[in-house]
Amino acid sequence: MSTNPINILQDAQAQDQAAEINATAYDSLWAGGDIPIQELSRMEQIMLSNDKLYVVLAVVLIIWVGIVLLLLRNDRRLKEVERSVAERIPDMDDEL
Amino acid sequence: MTESLVNIKRYTLVRNTVIVWVTGVLLAGFLLDIPKISILEHTARNLYFHVPMWFTLMAAVFVSAYHSFKVLKSGDLLSDIRALQAARVGAFFGVLGLVTGIVWSKFTWYVGTDVWWNFDPRQSMVTLQLLIYGAYFVLRSALDDPLKRGRIAAVYNLFAATTTPFLLYVIPRQMQSLHPGAEGNPAFSEITHPIMRLVFYPAIIGFIGIFWVIYTQRVRTAFLKYRVTQDPEL
Repeated sequence: MSTNPINILQDAQAQDQAAEINATAYDSLWAGGDIPIQELSRMEQIMLSNDKLYVVLAVVLIIWVGIVLLLLRNDRRLKEVERSVAERIPDMDDEL
Repeated sequence: MTESLVNIKRYTLVRNTVIVWVTGVLLAGFLLDIPKISILEHTARNLYFHVPMWFTLMAAVFVSAYHSFKVLKSGDLLSDIRALQAARVGAFFGVLGLVTGIVWSKFTWYVGTDVWWNFDPRQSMVTLQLLIYGAYFVLRSALDDPLKRGRIAAVYNLFAATTTPFLLYVIPRQMQSLHPGAEGNPAFSEITHPIMRLVFYPAIIGFIGIFWVIYTQRVRTAFLKYRVTQDPEL
């Protein structure tokens, strides 16, 4: 094995090709055997352009939407608890 | 009572602005074309996400130190809540910065080696800094009386804040490093394309905004805990 990055890449590609021969039915699709089965749809064309960068954008946006929903939910819960604590525990005249 | 703690109206306004702002930053970070540089390629976009973690940590350190200073001046327990929560959320962003840096360097500069960690001065110093903050949390957990804990922790926290600029900025710039501004490496301003700055600076503001939202939520939670249990530690 060489430590030259380019050789390593070539080795990896050779391994990929060897693996393709042994591909199971399960992974034959993504191993690249028969695709593209049909012409790329408009959405696929966009998503695959620019080294598939927009796939990453989609993933990041999904995560971000999830985080935002979590933050908003936290706020709603906090408001509820603050209200019920304020009702049950009268204001303290401490130095806080 | 809670109204005096956090201005809910202002909080909601800032929170919504942050949500829209960061969404815009994410879109711009991926959609704007950047110059293709060999080795870096698309990973240059990590500038928008990895580097703001450190700006956020620095902002959190300032907030935390400011409130620790107020604890020493007035013994205010509420300031102690703020100092702790700012440090906690700040350390969280620091860990994110460290991990994202490891991943970035592994697949960019350390390709073809088995190296994940190469003792880059900035990485090492930042790890040290996070350990210093780790000791702050441990110190707090060892003290039971909230008022006494607030004062002792404030003194230590001011020490931790003082070491931060040296460990994050001063020392790494004296040594060979992958990071810009270090010896043998041009400074950020000389190598960064204008289009990238257009995203980078708003990204810093956006991530500090996210910090502020989480920090405020935690302060509110800690205050609730204080009202119920008389101990704000969270």
